[in-house]
Amino acid sequence: MEKLKDALDFSDFSKTERICFIIFTIFLLVFPWLGVGSFVKTVMIQFMLFSLFGMGWNTIGGYGGQVELGKAQYVGIGAYTVALMMVWWKVPFWISMPIGILIALGYSFIIGYPLFRLKGHYFAIATICTSLVLKDIFDNWNLVGAAKGIELPIHEHPDFLYMQFKSDTYYYYFIMGLFYIAIFYMNWFRKSKLGYQLRMIKDDEDAAESLGIDIRWCKIKAYSIASAFVAVGGGFMAVYNLYIDPASVMELSLSIKIALMAMLGGAASLWGPIIGAAFLVPLDRFLGSWLGGHKGLTGIDFMIYAMLIMIVSAYQPKGIWGIIEQFRKRGR
Amino acid sequence: MRSLKSLLFICVLFLSLTIISSPAYAQKEIKIGVLYPLSGALATIGRDLQRAAELTADIINNKTPGVDIPMAKWGGIPNLGGAKIKLIFVDHRGEPDRGADLAKRLILDDKVVGLMGAYNSAVTKTVSAVAERYGIPMINDSSTSPDLTERGFKWFWRTTPHDNYFNRDLFELLKGLTEGKVRGVKAVPKAQLQNLAYACENTEWGSGVAKSIEAYAKEYGFTIKKGILYNANSPDLTSEAKALLSVKPDAMLFASYLSDSLLMIRTLKGMKAQTKFLWGQDAGFEMADFAKQLGGDINGVLTRTVFIDKITKVKKVAGQINALYKKKYGDDLTGATARSVVGVQTWAYVLNKAGSTDPKAIQKACNEINIPANELVMPWEGVKFDSKGQNVLGRGLIGQYQKKPDGSISLEIVYPFDLATANFIYPFPGWK
Repeated sequence: MEKLKDALDFSDFSKTERICFIIFTIFLLVFPWLGVGSFVKTVMIQFMLFSLFGMGWNTIGGYGGQVELGKAQYVGIGAYTVALMMVWWKVPFWISMPIGILIALGYSFIIGYPLFRLKGHYFAIATICTSLVLKDIFDNWNLVGAAKGIELPIHEHPDFLYMQFKSDTYYYYFIMGLFYIAIFYMNWFRKSKLGYQLRMIKDDEDAAESLGIDIRWCKIKAYSIASAFVAVGGGFMAVYNLYIDPASVMELSLSIKIALMAMLGGAASLWGPIIGAAFLVPLDRFLGSWLGGHKGLTGIDFMIYAMLIMIVSAYQPKGIWGIIEQFRKRGR
Repeated sequence: MRSLKSLLFICVLFLSLTIISSPAYAQKEIKIGVLYPLSGALATIGRDLQRAAELTADIINNKTPGVDIPMAKWGGIPNLGGAKIKLIFVDHRGEPDRGADLAKRLILDDKVVGLMGAYNSAVTKTVSAVAERYGIPMINDSSTSPDLTERGFKWFWRTTPHDNYFNRDLFELLKGLTEGKVRGVKAVPKAQLQNLAYACENTEWGSGVAKSIEAYAKEYGFTIKKGILYNANSPDLTSEAKALLSVKPDAMLFASYLSDSLLMIRTLKGMKAQTKFLWGQDAGFEMADFAKQLGGDINGVLTRTVFIDKITKVKKVAGQINALYKKKYGDDLTGATARSVVGVQTWAYVLNKAGSTDPKAIQKACNEINIPANELVMPWEGVKFDSKGQNVLGRGLIGQYQKKPDGSISLEIVYPFDLATANFIYPFPGWK
């Protein structure tokens, strides 16, 4: 009960932040009814999905300060568990998704245990390697469809058990539910014992250890929480796209995108990953959609995208949230 | 008073502009959403496909003299009151999830009548799943994964033959070599061609090709000594090339997109690789840029395709449309771009047959369409779909790049044997 109270308690944020959060929530709730096009709706779904990924990454990457670049493997585990269980045994999404989370948790413990013997760059490289190895295994493993991937059967009628709907509005509210669960969880997490321990580890590992904090165990726990978050998103991707292959759910570029969004928005802050996704997802999707099909403009969207990332990171390495904080300090 | 008059004038002007630009006065258009990879690693191919599709839409929309196909004289779709085809291109970058989102945009926001594309088989899977959900027809012009027409979809049709057709052609050619059926080559003892090695890119398409090669090798009695799946975006293919050469293959087989096919050939050349037979499964191997960038280095390289510019000499329509394409863009049509021509053409014929933009009417027209061979740029027997949506009248070609005495490179037909335009170069001359 205490934990739930903590999760719902935003009193340590400024009044402006709380008002913004309420307005943002109302906006998200009514958004599908504002008469927006379906493409805008898909962009919003992607935004909330990547916010979810980013918030997960933030536990280990942001609060824990460990550069983690292998999150795609857990997206893959979540997606493949849902897809395979649905194709092989017709298991409903609501059962296969929690199983996906459990598998991701188990796998993250197995991987995390030896991985956290490493620090800094070595750890970052190791996370990339484990992700690439898993992708290679899936690329060549015929039982799970190898590189050809897995197609989910299309149900003719909407089916809540299998999360199959014709209209994106249902997916929108589902991912919105997950998005808010993640926000509340992260709000609790940052105030939890583990949250404080991680920040201490980030600041000074030796000092943390001298205070009796089991550094490795803390990191493993945070890493597993992050993995569970992205596995949920992976499961959603499987039912939403109805097709997954290692190239779309386990690619290194996906891991980098997840880390990039959180870092650009502002690592180790509650709003950072959400701001990062709100900035990068629409930029990527709209620029690609508007400019991609036009003659002579191909590639311009990539340039604008890259340029904005460079400007933000050069101006404020703490990301967009860092810029906002900077302005607020000046205002005071 | 004066300001009142000017205000009135502005109001009238604005109103008239609104009326003129209102849809009631606009010529009727039929929107088709076309999804291609227009940026990223496959941008060159996507751009070529877009050009070919645009040219075909132009031929249909504006009466085009000098092209002997009925659609070139239509000036719009006749049974739809001369309505023009409008192609809306979107760029999926080879990403399946982006393709699905864009397909929703095309169907729900742009209100397209149907879809075409998406080149990458993996993207075609998600796009066709969206089309199937919304009951919108999709005609696929260029994805060759056999699985696509094995899913029992009711709203998906494919004009191009798929990889199983092409891979069978490859093994027929290998068998033909051992039986002395190939023009200009005496029968080669089978033992000299027994050992095969392949390297295929590792997404849906390449891995499907690999699987199919394995199955046919077994059926035709050849041995696969080494099989590799690799990442098409990889900056270096040295280890893959070394692995292939380590088994001293008699024949090397590839399924590669453009950048990786260029890299592979350059790497093999650098290693002075020796083999007797080098074949690529379309895609990168048959793009205009493949020959342009590698020049004399590809003398003797084989590619499966569905169109070779030599066809233009024996097929009038192919020659005429190729001439228009070459005049506008400077290149000859290739297997990929010619398929795009057939894709848009099939859409036009289907719409004309349906006489309506109602999805059900289009579905019926697709199931009944029969485009005769003489109206296609392809050396096919026509376009007619089976119950799975696969065109059963298509067939493939195998071409060989041959260096001419003037130093230029020409792609000659070597299979089917009855269409061969030059003597086969055997064994593969390699690089010195």
